[in-house]
Amino acid sequence: MASTTFRVFRYQPDSGESESYHQDFRLDHEEKTTILDALLRIQNEQDGTLAVRYSCRSAICGSCACKVNGKTVLACMTQVEEAKAESGADTLQVDPIGNFAPIKDLVVDMTPFWEKFKAVKPFLIPDGPAPDKERLVPKAAMEKVAKESACILCAACYSECNSLAADPEFVGPAAFAWGYRFAADERDAQRKNRAKLYSGDHGIWDCTRCMFCNERCPKGVDPRDAIEKLGAIAFQEKVTKDKGARHAKAFLISMRQGGKLNEQLVGGYTDPVGGVFNAPLALRMLQKGKLPKSPLTHKVKDRDQVTKLIKNVKETI
Amino acid sequence: MARQFAYYPGCVAEFSSKELNATTKALAPLLDIELLPMPQATCCGAGDIAEAKPNLYLTLNVRILSEAEEMGADILTICNVCTLNLRRANKMVKEDPRLLEQVNADLVNAGARPYQGTIDVTHLLWYLATEEGLSLLEERGPKGLNGLRVAPYYGCQLLRPSSVMGFEDPDRPQSLERLITALGGEVADYDGKTRCCGFPIILAREEVALKESHVALSGARDAGAQAMVTPCPLCHLAMDAYQRKTEQLMGEEYAMPVLHLPQLIGLALGLPTQSMEFKRHFTPVDDVLQTVGA
Repeated sequence: MASTTFRVFRYQPDSGESESYHQDFRLDHEEKTTILDALLRIQNEQDGTLAVRYSCRSAICGSCACKVNGKTVLACMTQVEEAKAESGADTLQVDPIGNFAPIKDLVVDMTPFWEKFKAVKPFLIPDGPAPDKERLVPKAAMEKVAKESACILCAACYSECNSLAADPEFVGPAAFAWGYRFAADERDAQRKNRAKLYSGDHGIWDCTRCMFCNERCPKGVDPRDAIEKLGAIAFQEKVTKDKGARHAKAFLISMRQGGKLNEQLVGGYTDPVGGVFNAPLALRMLQKGKLPKSPLTHKVKDRDQVTKLIKNVKETI
Repeated sequence: MARQFAYYPGCVAEFSSKELNATTKALAPLLDIELLPMPQATCCGAGDIAEAKPNLYLTLNVRILSEAEEMGADILTICNVCTLNLRRANKMVKEDPRLLEQVNADLVNAGARPYQGTIDVTHLLWYLATEEGLSLLEERGPKGLNGLRVAPYYGCQLLRPSSVMGFEDPDRPQSLERLITALGGEVADYDGKTRCCGFPIILAREEVALKESHVALSGARDAGAQAMVTPCPLCHLAMDAYQRKTEQLMGEEYAMPVLHLPQLIGLALGLPTQSMEFKRHFTPVDDVLQTVGA
């Protein structure tokens, strides 16, 4: 047997409590107990008003994501003793997932999540009339989207997404993982339209590459990698007007010019219009020697190898 | 005997943030490290080439690994982003012999050396935050930081994804803390130390990026830090060069000197301040220098 204190986030606006707080529950439990089992026992044995969202209890429905000592996990696939050992604490603080408004205790309002999910058109849009039989796809083609197909929409990736924290309208990791899953599906006929739909304000180029989504995903989807692949699809489809795409283009140009980053090019090329408003900063950067005074490019040794690679390496996205 | 490394400073440390490269080079002999130049090495692509042309990203990075392999030395980095890009490419080809074969075919066609998969990529912080490294710092830094209160700022890509980085627990990192303590400093702990600085999107989505860096800057300030230290020159640009813009956007004041990791070590080890080129910083470091008696 083991014993643990659970410091649980409480918020019950329907009961006239407008402020949230944390409440401690002490629980004796078997060594092998999940966070979800513990929460449900607390609900059954100590406080029936505790609100928890769950369904399958086996890491497939994606309902029970929450934060345990600040780290977003699925409650049903996280062992209490392991969480204690990992954090080195005997008390486990349980909070609702981040970047969403709480409704009651550990239950949050997922409406924005589902709106963003719908916005990426997370379904196949093939061309032409449906065939008589199913559309067969070779195994290798499906392997391209196998990782992303494993997403269970638990929103663990949204919980600590740093771009979402700064821009609540950012479409976000899970939705884009689904977007890639269909953009890269050879049966789908909307590849270019998807590239356009996913670019622009709050789109793929909003991702700040904090890598929290890859770190937190309980199913190994690696949403950041999917966003990166959507960037490559946008490049392939020549959808590169967004400032984020232009930023990436500046790196490609630098590579062609000499092999190293041309830092004078990158600012102006990324944002030729808005860059004007950054003139005071650019001037200070120049004064501090943070920008080169001449537009010299930096050439590496054996640059012809780089030139040949740029010309010859085939993209397979 | 000095440990030899193939030195990959990365583009930002070589150009915009020259002070980082200069300090690292000045510091290396004090740490028994010999930095071997990599004349063929290109930019790692900073994640940007990866999101435009993923196969090109991989091939260019494997070419960098191959140059180090030919030199017979592991790679030492001083940038989070370079570390992630090089380690990620290394992991991809080491785990997939068929992929390595394809990449090598492209390299050979371009006249470059094929990669055998024998190189490791480590960051200066990781090299020093070992028992050996820390005792070396304690031994060589008798001058110390004189109790300077320092906020460790890790940023993202030296920690996550841990499947690629793997040096320490990405949620409870301690390498910078141990280093600050070994150098005679005091740790100012705060929640934002593993959050994003926003730099990757600072040119394309400035407001989003500045709101991100605000989290760490305000956290460090509220923890009473006299300075912030970072192992990444991109984080440094976001935190230092853009600090005033963030102050303007958020309507707050941070007045937070931001040190590159080798500068913090250099201060404790008594490296001459001119060689660390603090004049290139935006936020003045005078109070820091005064506290450590530099």
